[in-house]
Amino acid sequence: MDRSAVFFSHDHIKEISSSLLNLSSLRIWTQITNFRRKDTEYCAYVKRFIEGRFFSMLMISTISLNALCMVLQTDYDIKNYLFLVFEVVEVLFVSVYCFEFCIKLYVDPLGYWKNGYNLLDVVIIIILSVPFHVRKLFGRHCPYLNIGEGIQSLRILKLIPYSRGIKTLITALGQTICTVASVMILLFLLMFIFAILGFSLFGSSDGGDLNNWGNLAVAFFTLFSLTTVDGWTDLQKDLDERGFGLSRAFTIFFILLGSFVFLSMFVGVMIFHTEDSIKKFKKELENERHVALLQEKQNILKKQQEEVSRLMQKGTNSEYKTFSELVKGFKKTLRHSDPMVLEDFCTTLPFIDIYLSTLDNQDNTISKLQELYYEMVNVLNQMLDDIPTKKRSFSSEKSVEF
Amino acid sequence: MSAELPEVPENFEPTAVARADAVRSRLIDTFSLIDHLRGLSQAVPRHNLREFLDPARQRKLMLGDHHQLVRFSIRPAYHRIPFAQRQQCRLRVCCNPWAPISLWAGWVLRKRIFINFVNCLIFLNTIFLMIEIELVNTTDVRMLPIMMALEVGSWFILFVFILEILLFWLYNFFLFWKSAWNLFDFFVTTLSLLPEIVVLIGVTGESVWLQLLRICRVLRSLKLFARFRQIRVIILALVRALKTMTFLLVLLLIFFYIFALAGIYFFESYSRSDIQDLEYQMYFMNMPNSLVTVFILFTLDHWYALLQDAWRVPALSKAFSSLYVILWLLLGSIIFRNIIVAMMVTNFQAIRNELSEEATHSEMQHKASIFKRQIIKRRLNQKDGEKAKIRSSSGHIAPQTSHHSASLLTGEMSQTENLTKTSVPKDFTAPQEYLLVSDSLVDWETHVHQNLHGLMEMDQDEQVVWPRDSLFRYFELLEKLQYNIEERKQLQEFAVKALINLKDN
Repeated sequence: MDRSAVFFSHDHIKEISSSLLNLSSLRIWTQITNFRRKDTEYCAYVKRFIEGRFFSMLMISTISLNALCMVLQTDYDIKNYLFLVFEVVEVLFVSVYCFEFCIKLYVDPLGYWKNGYNLLDVVIIIILSVPFHVRKLFGRHCPYLNIGEGIQSLRILKLIPYSRGIKTLITALGQTICTVASVMILLFLLMFIFAILGFSLFGSSDGGDLNNWGNLAVAFFTLFSLTTVDGWTDLQKDLDERGFGLSRAFTIFFILLGSFVFLSMFVGVMIFHTEDSIKKFKKELENERHVALLQEKQNILKKQQEEVSRLMQKGTNSEYKTFSELVKGFKKTLRHSDPMVLEDFCTTLPFIDIYLSTLDNQDNTISKLQELYYEMVNVLNQMLDDIPTKKRSFSSEKSVEF
Repeated sequence: MSAELPEVPENFEPTAVARADAVRSRLIDTFSLIDHLRGLSQAVPRHNLREFLDPARQRKLMLGDHHQLVRFSIRPAYHRIPFAQRQQCRLRVCCNPWAPISLWAGWVLRKRIFINFVNCLIFLNTIFLMIEIELVNTTDVRMLPIMMALEVGSWFILFVFILEILLFWLYNFFLFWKSAWNLFDFFVTTLSLLPEIVVLIGVTGESVWLQLLRICRVLRSLKLFARFRQIRVIILALVRALKTMTFLLVLLLIFFYIFALAGIYFFESYSRSDIQDLEYQMYFMNMPNSLVTVFILFTLDHWYALLQDAWRVPALSKAFSSLYVILWLLLGSIIFRNIIVAMMVTNFQAIRNELSEEATHSEMQHKASIFKRQIIKRRLNQKDGEKAKIRSSSGHIAPQTSHHSASLLTGEMSQTENLTKTSVPKDFTAPQEYLLVSDSLVDWETHVHQNLHGLMEMDQDEQVVWPRDSLFRYFELLEKLQYNIEERKQLQEFAVKALINLKDN
């Protein structure tokens, strides 16, 4: 009775159910991780197709043609004249982009999202569908329609992954983004402070310059204009007309801080990071070349070894077990009086000198080490002599091992 | 980007087996064992390229057996062979029954007098042009002879320039087109030739094109750029800086395109509005205008005025237009311009290093030769100090090298010229002694590592004469040595392990 009660108690049930849940989720999880595609051959074929030249040529020509068509579409006369052509071509381009998206997703569903350029592709496909949906949702005369058409120009960014140089440039520049962002945030903070200051000084009173400092947004614009030192004399003139004599100090101070200090800081920070990234890029190129060279050398060596082993197995009369047997006959033909002039580095005297000097050093070190070992063993032996008999037999085994 | 690259470990140490394999492969190569074992050819190159090129030795060789093989060893040479040298060896030039015009043309072109003459003519041409411009509108009769003289002088100078180009074509037609400076020369000369041709053909009249063509005469002064070394260096530096920035400029062009196209659509209502007195209405009308506007914004000129003008149109969404302008200013004018400055600065550093390449090369050679002397000295000291020490690694033959045994080796053979290359030079001056002393503070192995590369790249080729069987034995022993060293390393590891075990108990 007790046992059944225990069996059906809540804790026990919870335990059992949780363990059941664990078991089932574990099983599902192992199934998911052990999931292997069944269509590996076709997948490999498609992957080869994607990485091949034909596909990249196709994509590059499609994107360039698309860019050209978009430029032609801006002219009203041409658009009117060739309206049908543009419609058909548009459908073609969208289908090519969707096809690319689909097969890339097919090849690697999970790894697709890890590559930044694939994410760019997805964003551009979403952008492609924006005008269509805006037109459907808001009707034909929505003011935001031309915005939707304007951002179609981003399609040309799809060209970037197909050019190795630009890709590496962007990766190198991408590392400077953090510093750029921090400088921008600093600039924004500075402008914020000065905007509030300017608003309260010049824009809030009755005789104030409401045009330029009336609200925060306009104040920001004015300050940005001061930062880029474009047309700031006109703004200053406006302020002077209203009689704000002290405004000159304000403007000049902000120009010094914002334009001279901050914008120059930009340059300095960028120089620092560009140098870093260019050095890293060059080092990686060097490494690549180095690795390729090593690979080549290994290949040559391997070919030679295969040749020699083949010759060894091909012995007609006797079995050549080692290389030295193989060349014994050849060795006999060599005479001491035959000169051979060599220019390789490994047969030159400096090399031999260096090598033997290094080996001598090693020899010295090892003999010193050996002496130290002998000393240690001597000391231990002496210690053993001073210890009682039982331990002595035990440790003598160890010293014999040693 | 870095994930695709295989990792190269910092110290790429080949294992002993790999080293032994390398030695064996060297052996096979040197003696062409594979060919021999296949039974293909019994002949092994006994002569060296340098032997062959030395005229005295060559004569001796030619008198002997003509079927000897010569071993080619190719090394990337630092000094390129100029075309003039190459030309003198060519059969077409040497054995020509007619006079070798190309040789003569090359000789004339290289003569200092000719080069200075042409440079003076360029200067003279500039002066003539200046005088002509002053006098072209005078109707003074006395100036007529001067004008005539200037005209004749101008034509003469033009003929000399054409003659110079013809000489170069005679010298080597195809080499002319390969050098960018020559192309520039050619282009400038033909362009300045155009007005004269046009006048000769007889086209008269005061059309604008004729006057423009006359201006092309001034281009002849540009030929100066190709002549003087300093100007060339500056132009080369600029061109190289631009070359490394090509991708940046391509990226910038892409962004120009994006913002121009987007601008047309964003400002559509502004371009089409009916409000009067809009100053910048044409700015986003079509693609060419839009591109120019984007460039104007890139240079930060009157952007706020443009924006304020655009806001006057109520149909234009203020948020999007200001977002567009601000984004373009930040991205294009602030970020991109500073990236260009940064890349130029880093490139100029690299260019400066490259231009002083020759200086660095000679410095490296100098260091390598000092290193060599150090090794030799050290070897001599060691040999004197430890004569009795038996070396386990070396055999009974040649690799027991000191200079005495080397001289034994080479003494029986041909000249000791190679010995003089490796012997301690007489001009072992005091400052280099100091260098030796200070360098001994560094660990020997690191010292070797630092200087080994320089030693391997030394210009003068070391030639060592080996007897053949000694060389074979040397390679064999070197290979066995690698295995021995490996074994010794393993034994040491055992000893260390035993020691550690002992400590634990």
